[in-house]
Amino acid sequence: MSDIDNMQPIMKMENVSLRYGIGPDVLRNINLELPRGSFYFLTGKSGAGKTSLLSMMYLAQKPSAGRVSIFGNNVNFTIRNSLAMFRRRIGVVFQDFRLLDHVSAFDNVALPLRVCGMSEKEIIVRVNELLRWVEIKRSTMSVTSTLSGGEKQRVAIARAVINRPDFLLADEPTGNVDSDIATKLMKLFVELNKLGTTVVIATHNENLIREFNYPQIHLQNHGVTIIPAEGNGYV
Amino acid sequence: MFDSFKTSRHKELPLSKDSSNLFLKIMISIAVFLFAVTLAGVLSINSMLINWNNSILGSLTVQIIPVNDANRQKAAEDALQQQQKVVALLEAMPEVKRAIPLSDEQLKMLLNPWLGDDVDMADLPMPRLIDVKLHHGAEIDYNALAEKLVNVAPQASLDNHKLWLNKLINLASGIKMLALSILILVIGVTSGAIFYTTQTSMGLHKDVIEILHLMGAKDTYIAQQYAFRTAFLGFVGGIIGVVVAIPTIILIARLAQQIEGGIINEMHLSVGGWTAIASLPLFSALVAMQTAYYTVKHTLERMM
Repeated sequence: MSDIDNMQPIMKMENVSLRYGIGPDVLRNINLELPRGSFYFLTGKSGAGKTSLLSMMYLAQKPSAGRVSIFGNNVNFTIRNSLAMFRRRIGVVFQDFRLLDHVSAFDNVALPLRVCGMSEKEIIVRVNELLRWVEIKRSTMSVTSTLSGGEKQRVAIARAVINRPDFLLADEPTGNVDSDIATKLMKLFVELNKLGTTVVIATHNENLIREFNYPQIHLQNHGVTIIPAEGNGYV
Repeated sequence: MFDSFKTSRHKELPLSKDSSNLFLKIMISIAVFLFAVTLAGVLSINSMLINWNNSILGSLTVQIIPVNDANRQKAAEDALQQQQKVVALLEAMPEVKRAIPLSDEQLKMLLNPWLGDDVDMADLPMPRLIDVKLHHGAEIDYNALAEKLVNVAPQASLDNHKLWLNKLINLASGIKMLALSILILVIGVTSGAIFYTTQTSMGLHKDVIEILHLMGAKDTYIAQQYAFRTAFLGFVGGIIGVVVAIPTIILIARLAQQIEGGIINEMHLSVGGWTAIASLPLFSALVAMQTAYYTVKHTLERMM
């Protein structure tokens, strides 16, 4: 990564609006800049547009209007292969997990490494290590469709962080796990953030927001407001 | 605490379970069968055309018709004398490689398909025929030769086969072009079928493709999975098509050999021809692979 890259915000939105088809604006005139290494909670009521905003951040959507820059590059003028390269630097935990049901937990977690062309030998080491860490047991080497909701969520998180992304986006990542595992997973995100990963977590969990006291990107009336962390923030 | 997980890697796109696989395999089998039979026809016609062309360029026939005389024996002797003079004239020419008069037995064999076995040749005013082979690349002024022949043998006439053989060559060339059009059509129809089944499959696996994209997969990563799967189907379909086509080609060849007259007999498939037919499964795999690959690439380019 060059020095210029390091100085750029990891993601920047300028006057961004998003609508689906000919429907009304879901997001309107969003201006947002995420500095490298920052940690934000994304909050707002159901239907406020959190998932839509995240989808633009992980490059699944282009804005209907305005400009989205990722790693200093305007998404609208980026060629397809470069978009793929940017996506490799982004880890995503989807609200509905979006795991491949017909392959094993191992293969799901290995997916981001395989698309990068990593050797199977290295993949085995890294995936096994992470699967142990998220407490996925050996018996779950069968297809993912047989896993419980909590296990699927942990596999989805493992898949998002396996390639140590520069930018981690998570949509309700602790929604299906008990409070102990939720805290453990949050600590994983915090550790990744300390290593330089920029993290955005969409959540409704007030306890989590209080416990981990990070600034919030709050969505309301199709726009965003930044709510700073209380005091010195999470330590 | 936990043993290491071992990979039993499954392809991310579950293409082997697509319902269109059987359709595609049958479609490719039929296409390769038609392709193989048509290709055998084209190659055979080609070898026949080469033979005919060589005949035009390299040979001619001199015919000496006996004078219509009541004394058949005298007419026959006269024709035989003229034949000797013609052979001597032809052999003296540098362009002529050899001039061989046909024996009575050979004449009988030529007439046999029309007259049968029970005909006494002595009762017929049999013409004398001389088969003339020219040196490779030799050019002859046929009009001048015809005049020279008449000078030494008034009953001699020259046939360089050009007129009737040209008509056959034109016919065969037309059939060959038609067959080549069929080959192109077969490739086009098969590629079209692969295009639409690939697009249908992409629609079915839209969610998986989207996940792969979001994980950072390039279009080529997805296209390769389709290409390899379709190449496999193309290869299996190709083998089935060729296995059915080979006995069909042999059967058609045997039926063609039963046709009397020596024209169709010249149709035959060389070792190179059989090799081309045997390699059709590789060709069908390649066509299927390329079509699937570019279909996926083209379709994905319209997505973000």
